[in-house]
Amino acid sequence: MAGKTIVVTSGKGGVGKTTTVANIGTVLAKKKHSVVMLDADIGLRNLDVVMGLENRIVYNLVDIIEGKCRKEQAMLRDRKLNNLFIIPAAQTREKDAVQPEQMKELCRQLAEEFDFVIIDCPAGIERGFKNAVAGAEIAIVVTTPEVSAIRDADRVIGLLEASLLKDIHLIVNRLNYRMVKKGDMMSTEDIVNLLSVPLLGVVPESEDVVISTNRGVPLVHDRGSKAGIAFQRIAARLNGESIPFDNGYGDGFLERFKRLFRG
Amino acid sequence: MLNAIRRFFGEKASGKVAAKRMQVVLMHDRMDLTPDVLECLKNDILSVLSRYMEIDQQSIRVDLEKGKEYTALVSNVHIKRVYRRALPAQNA
Ligand SMILES: Nc1ncnc2c1ncn2[C@@H]1O[C@H](COP(=O)(O)OP(=O)(O)OP(=O)(O)O)[C@@H](O)[C@H]1O
Ligand SMILES: [Mg+2]
Repeated sequence: MAGKTIVVTSGKGGVGKTTTVANIGTVLAKKKHSVVMLDADIGLRNLDVVMGLENRIVYNLVDIIEGKCRKEQAMLRDRKLNNLFIIPAAQTREKDAVQPEQMKELCRQLAEEFDFVIIDCPAGIERGFKNAVAGAEIAIVVTTPEVSAIRDADRVIGLLEASLLKDIHLIVNRLNYRMVKKGDMMSTEDIVNLLSVPLLGVVPESEDVVISTNRGVPLVHDRGSKAGIAFQRIAARLNGESIPFDNGYGDGFLERFKRLFRG
Repeated sequence: MLNAIRRFFGEKASGKVAAKRMQVVLMHDRMDLTPDVLECLKNDILSVLSRYMEIDQQSIRVDLEKGKEYTALVSNVHIKRVYRRALPAQNA
């Protein structure tokens, strides 16, 4: 049976797509699934540094597409998990070096070999976005609790639905509970109401994210981190496990949104 | 502190303000009603109404209103007088 192909996208830049890909991929691999993460951010690659694999790159995504190497040659194995791989983006090429059809075919091939293919989408809604979503069956839209990120997320959701990618899930990243409590930040409930797509999880604003990125070791390896636990719960939901939305780990809020999640 | 004072004087929490604003923004975005389109719509409404009544051209307002289960297009126009018979339709 073919694996799942998942694109992580947002519209607005810098909201946490790459962080999400790295952490979800790592958790799913820890759960013994075979996972490949594909950096589709051609020209601005980052997944390699977030995973701490920047020194090992020989070939990249564009090399595979152009037939300069076999896809196995471009895959980097994770330092800790031997069933986790990344395919880095090309750093010195343009987004139009790749066609959506080619991405679709590559994702199809990868899904034959891996349980999960997770695609790190670039910001924006142009060519890079179209390439990144072309081969995906499931989309995760990441937003932060800010007006501009939410507006862009809504636009992206519209484009995904128009491209017939309708299995869409929402992650709210960088939620600051203290501010929500004071009423000075939109709550998860507000955001789910506005965007009306099912919630996959909520990640709190956390210094741990910056620290783990500095080290090039995904947060989920660190047991104590709340943001890390939030990503574990998100990945578990993607894995079909039923995880309630109601404790203090970063996604506690109204019961009634449970039904919005169709795992 | 400043926020607490503002709140004391009845200002809404900024989170709620944002949610409310986004509700309107997203509705406009989704309906693809750009300012140009809205302007065209206003002019068309005016030209139709003008066949039947004299209108205060400056008074027209077109807004989207969201109820629980519907979105309404609400237009408000000041009428100066109503004609006895409709004028012929202008250029199509
Ligand atoms: N929950 C969080 N708490 C604190 N910082 C965060 C959190 N999530 C992400 N960040 C920080 O925000 C920055 C952007 O994150 P990331 O690179 O994952 O975003 P992105 O959406 O992939 O960006 P781009 O659009 O440029 O590809 C990083 O410095 C990251 O460490
Ligand atoms: Mg990124």
